[in-house]
Amino acid sequence: MPRSFPDATVILKAAVKYLEEELMPTLDGYHRFKTRVTVNALNIVRRELEMRETQAAAERVRLASILGHDGDVERLSRELAERIRDGSISIDDPALRAHIRQSLADALAINNPKWLTR
Amino acid sequence: MPSDDFAARLRTAVARHIGAPGTIFNLNRLTGGANKTTWSFDAEVAGARHPFILQLASAGIADVPQELLDLSPHLTAEQDARYMIAAVNHGVPAPRVRAIFDDADGLGPGYVTERVEGETLAPRILREERFTRARSLMAAQCGEILAKIHRIPLAEVPFLKHQDAAAQVAAQRKVLDYFDFRLPAIEMGLKWAAENLPKNPRLTAVHGDFRHGNFIVGEEGIRLVLDWEIGQSGDPMQDLGWLCVKTWRFGGPRPVGGFGAREDLFAAYEKASGHAVDPAHVRFWEAFGSVKWALGCLRMGIRGSEESGVERCAIGRRIEEPLWDFLNLIEGRD
Repeated sequence: MPRSFPDATVILKAAVKYLEEELMPTLDGYHRFKTRVTVNALNIVRRELEMRETQAAAERVRLASILGHDGDVERLSRELAERIRDGSISIDDPALRAHIRQSLADALAINNPKWLTR
Repeated sequence: MPSDDFAARLRTAVARHIGAPGTIFNLNRLTGGANKTTWSFDAEVAGARHPFILQLASAGIADVPQELLDLSPHLTAEQDARYMIAAVNHGVPAPRVRAIFDDADGLGPGYVTERVEGETLAPRILREERFTRARSLMAAQCGEILAKIHRIPLAEVPFLKHQDAAAQVAAQRKVLDYFDFRLPAIEMGLKWAAENLPKNPRLTAVHGDFRHGNFIVGEEGIRLVLDWEIGQSGDPMQDLGWLCVKTWRFGGPRPVGGFGAREDLFAAYEKASGHAVDPAHVRFWEAFGSVKWALGCLRMGIRGSEESGVERCAIGRRIEEPLWDFLNLIEGRD
């Protein structure tokens, strides 16, 4: 498939660089705050584009191992959630704990990497 | 800017409930939340100008479906005001209510309280030099204030709804069902809560949102406790646990609101209330509080859209923070 350049993540980096380095210093109060929030939001999108595909592949492998069958990652995750609720998987199960810890760490690496080191 | 009509009705209400002539100055909208809007104003009453706060129930609450409203305690504006009046009567530093609006005021549900100056922004209170002494006092002050809140006789606040921990777990599951949302980490949190329910908790008045960010602070510490609208009756340890949830530490290093030690909070509470504090019991509410805040992020995230703005969208993406804290808490890694 033909594709064009630059990559979406590069475009986002360029947009964030403008907002942070050129626009923000000229702002204060409400618009400075909103621009800061917008920069954070664009960085979330960039990190999701960079990492989510690899994360989802690993998540699917972990889920298939816990549940004993393969499938679409969203469906497997939902099935695991249902099995936690109905009690057919114990919340003390070490494989479950490790899976949840890794899934949360992955999501935080996208949404707010600083939280992992707090 | 407020309309002339609105200011005129406010003046009439102030004159009627507080005193004539009620002339309004400096009417400024401070915040507009999903549930209420807050205004600051001064009014001339009996020859002097007095500082006030106006709270009005906002139309925004209409976008929350009734099924969800019924799942968690939420006071009407009048009940909110009556809870603060009862609190003040028992020595709690709550806003002093001066007017509760009725139909004749034409302003919708709302009330006026006396305005107290001070800082509410948690990051400033945690970092600024001038609050050094306040920070050292606030954990014990929280313990003393909570002991007073928990002594308010329930007969004086009969409108508080009772929701014990088990009922709260059930309510959170219904919220997830309503949105048809499933996340293993949330299910684990709710299952953990269901398996670790506190045994024989006391039943008292509970503030429900007693945390850093809801205090007006001066150099001498806490001047006022705000945001009484999710007041309820229940396990008093709920308030102590919620105060320690990591989200409400705003990056501060210490467990109580980022500013204090659990030991100081518990010792002051025990001394003022005469009731022993079991740290594991408080930890239950801190852990479950983290899970409840994840549900709060979910609700805001689901309502996040182009129209609601980038901030609400960003809060939706904070859902894993309290779940991560929850996991660390139950595994002893906090």
